[in-house]
Amino acid sequence: MDQELMMKLIVEKVMEAMKEGGTPAAKASGTGKMTAADYPLSEKSADKLKSPSGKKFTEMTKAEVLSGNISSEDMRISPETLEMQAQVAESVGREAFANNMRRAAELIAVGDDRLLEIYNALRPYRSTKAELLAIAEELETKYDARISAGLVREAAAVYEARGRLKKD
Amino acid sequence: MKSKRFEALAARPVNKDGFVQEWPEVGLIAMNSPFDPKPSIKIENGVVTELDGKARAEFDMLDSFIADHAINLDGAERVMAMDSLDIARKLVDINVSRKEILDMTLCMTPAKLVDVVNKLSIVEIMMAMTKMRARKMPSNQCHVTNVKDNPIQIAADAAEAGIRGFDEMETTVGIARYAPFNAMSLLIGAQVGRQGVLTQCALEEATELQLGMRGFTTYAETISVYGTEPVFMDGDDTPYSKAFLASCYASRGLKMRFTSGTGSEVQMGYAEGKSMLYLEARCLAITKGAGVQGTQNGSVSCIGVPAGVPGGIRAVAAENLIAMLLDLECTSSNDQTFTHSDLRRVARSVPQFFSGTDFICSGYSATPNYDNMFAGSNWDAEDFDDWNIIQRDMRIDGGLQPVKEEDVIRIRNKAARALQGVFRELGLPAITDEEVEAATYANGSKDMPDRNVNEDLKAIEEMMARKVTGVDFVKALEKAGFPDVADGVFGMLKQRVAGDYLHTSAILDENFHVMSAVNEPNDYHGPMTGYQISEERWNEIKNISQAIRPEDI
Repeated sequence: MDQELMMKLIVEKVMEAMKEGGTPAAKASGTGKMTAADYPLSEKSADKLKSPSGKKFTEMTKAEVLSGNISSEDMRISPETLEMQAQVAESVGREAFANNMRRAAELIAVGDDRLLEIYNALRPYRSTKAELLAIAEELETKYDARISAGLVREAAAVYEARGRLKKD
Repeated sequence: MKSKRFEALAARPVNKDGFVQEWPEVGLIAMNSPFDPKPSIKIENGVVTELDGKARAEFDMLDSFIADHAINLDGAERVMAMDSLDIARKLVDINVSRKEILDMTLCMTPAKLVDVVNKLSIVEIMMAMTKMRARKMPSNQCHVTNVKDNPIQIAADAAEAGIRGFDEMETTVGIARYAPFNAMSLLIGAQVGRQGVLTQCALEEATELQLGMRGFTTYAETISVYGTEPVFMDGDDTPYSKAFLASCYASRGLKMRFTSGTGSEVQMGYAEGKSMLYLEARCLAITKGAGVQGTQNGSVSCIGVPAGVPGGIRAVAAENLIAMLLDLECTSSNDQTFTHSDLRRVARSVPQFFSGTDFICSGYSATPNYDNMFAGSNWDAEDFDDWNIIQRDMRIDGGLQPVKEEDVIRIRNKAARALQGVFRELGLPAITDEEVEAATYANGSKDMPDRNVNEDLKAIEEMMARKVTGVDFVKALEKAGFPDVADGVFGMLKQRVAGDYLHTSAILDENFHVMSAVNEPNDYHGPMTGYQISEERWNEIKNISQAIRPEDI
């Protein structure tokens, strides 16, 4: 994810948190949290959706693909969209699913190959504790992927306790 | 003297099936093992310190994951103290809503969930399924494979399955290197049949994700989880790696579910003396804790194990119900073949078929069984009319409808020609007119000419190396003169930008409108509520060509 988008997300989250503590969240303006009433987003909130490359969802058409204006790289989900879907899930009581969406939002910026490498490193007996902690560090510092980094650290501790780390 | 009666009975198909007495020590017991733990939970400072009789210091990896991620701790102590029989009665009480049930079941440990469903008869399990299924309308999924990995046949079978009513389709491979062809043939064929059908290709975890990233598939399902730590290790994963994998899929906008089922731990030799249902409840808790929207469960490919022990098929229905009690999409097996008896295979499907589940079969074979590469299915293409007539007999919606022969021939031909055009545009080994003709009229791969496998495999390697993606299929279809099929593939690719179909129990209609447990939640609360078959839908189901019409007499 590019740094600018991530900053925007963080600012939005902070603003939301402030709103929750103070005045009631605005409903109609679209600045409040998404709920089941806004879903499907592709129909009811399509104007709010765009790809990580900045292409608007409403302007994604087959014609644009055929003319080469939209590439495979443009047809991807953005962190903002996954955050909105997480909010929809929370509005219907699916917190664990929402948390998965937020981990996923963090991982959008990680390239396909690196993502597969990290997954493989999390499999049993693949990594030392230090290697897993280094991955957590990378996720946190390079991608600001804090929830995902937390999961990797948690795994490192459990793998150590259960003897599932790579034997040196 | 031998009894002639017993001689006749011995010759019956059911007596070719395998059965075994219960043997709890090795886990050969469906439910209620004497070695199953008693439900318990202790929470100190917001941390679970005891789970189902085990102190935190003794937790294995699965216990840790479940304790830290899977249970709603707010109400846990209160719910765990409630009488399981009272909760079981609420499950079949139409005056207690689905939401009120979830407020309890989402606070439960695996042993408590098992203790509750243990109290239900098979009919009560079905009543509870009717209420607890996540999506309002039931649906169905099919397998589309063949022994030759013939791509033209896959496209034609997928198109036919589309007009027959399947909302999801799954393929896999005979030869692993054929996977990209199988996946793209299924994707394109499915969109010919009906726009909005979801497609997947079952492969090793990392490869399956790669094909999804490239736009060859639109969802994934074969992400296995297991109920004991040693079996999880044998499966080369952990709850943590699988939870991370789940997020990888969502980060690419791809729908996914986990898979698990009773019997897998016994089959792999590490059931730790626990009942099959208790171990499956642990799998489902892991699925919930990973934040995955749903599961394919119901023993699935291990069905021979529970089917061999007393009460095993009831346990399979009970495990589907536990998935629903955890608010998960339930893709309810009725998948791998397990019996020689036609009577048993129908009885096995009654709970899910008659109650309706999110996907009644997680692999109704859309080909004859000899072409099913998932080791055969409980239902196959030669049962299409049986399935349709059972729907008509019982006035139930099992997701399919009767079709006309001329429509099937037309749609199969179109799918074969569309794939022919895509192969031409992408410079892949030619699909001949003879192959198109054969796929149009084929029942199975015995009716298909052989392809040059080495040439196909070489072309696949080259296609993957030059980074062909789903977008290239859209362009190729348009150029080949199939703009409507190009619309279909484009429409599927666009889903992953919006992410609406990531949600629980999502399917898409022919206009790519998503129907999930968010906007179409199951609201059953007694007779004439919840999903009701519309007049239009009933006409589709009941009008079979075999029926004599009064005006013809």
